Amino acid sequence: MKLARLCAVSALAILVSACAASGPKHAEVASSIPALKSDQGRIYFYRSSSFVGAAIQPSIQLNGAVVGDSKPGGFFFVDRAPGPMEVSTTTEVEKKLTFTLDRRQTRYVKTVIGFGIAVGRVYPELVDDATGEKEIQEASYIGQPLSR
Amino acid sequence: MKVWTMLLAVGSMWLGACASEIARYPVESFAASQQSGRRYIVSTPAYIRLDSGYERTLSAGTELREFGTIKQGRILQPVSTVFTIDGAHMHEAYLVLNDGRIVGFYLPAEGAFSPLSQSVNLSIQERRP
Repeated sequence: MKLARLCAVSALAILVSACAASGPKHAEVASSIPALKSDQGRIYFYRSSSFVGAAIQPSIQLNGAVVGDSKPGGFFFVDRAPGPMEVSTTTEVEKKLTFTLDRRQTRYVKTVIGFGIAVGRVYPELVDDATGEKEIQEASYIGQPLSR
Repeated sequence: MKVWTMLLAVGSMWLGACASEIARYPVESFAASQQSGRRYIVSTPAYIRLDSGYERTLSAGTELREFGTIKQGRILQPVSTVFTIDGAHMHEAYLVLNDGRIVGFYLPAEGAFSPLSQSVNLSIQERRP
């Protein structure tokens, strides 16, 4: 009985680690993140690390174009010209978030897992700067390679 | 009996997971504020029940700034915090005030107005520099 439990816990741990984002932590890449251009704004996308729904990793679209994936414990960023933004993720349904991006503004979009009918759903949420700045510290960078 | 209970549970989950889209209408006669420097502090918490069923609380101490006006009222933008409204999707939202009450929301990304069926009193004080 104990062996069966141990096997189950080990299998779960392997599954979680396999689904979690791997990459350098924010602190390790912070100095390589380029300064924001004066005519653009920046959007950070991230997801907290959790084994709940870890296998559900939909693409994230920004204004209709894929910019990355929602991976547990991962973060990345994109720079865009100011204007209206629409972020969407699709699992069994499409969930959207709309907001505006101003020049030299940084915004934080967190993807969270929610309940669905057949599978979990991933929702994009706009979070305030203080929360976003704090939470990406724990995340691993999964974006485009950064030049050092 | 158990089957009915399960069906009811699944049905309520389905309904909860499929919230309706919020009502929104293109704004008419938007005018940017000439006094965007004017800022206010929320004096007492405001509890807002959205028509979609979701609830929001505007905490005391929340800072707002003049953003503009539309036909339905003056628009106040939350500062240093994010305010969103939810239906089937999530939208960044600014408050629309008329006669001291929140009558709806201005959705900046859509340039739209989303009305509240029941307006909510908002107590604010101007912030002095």
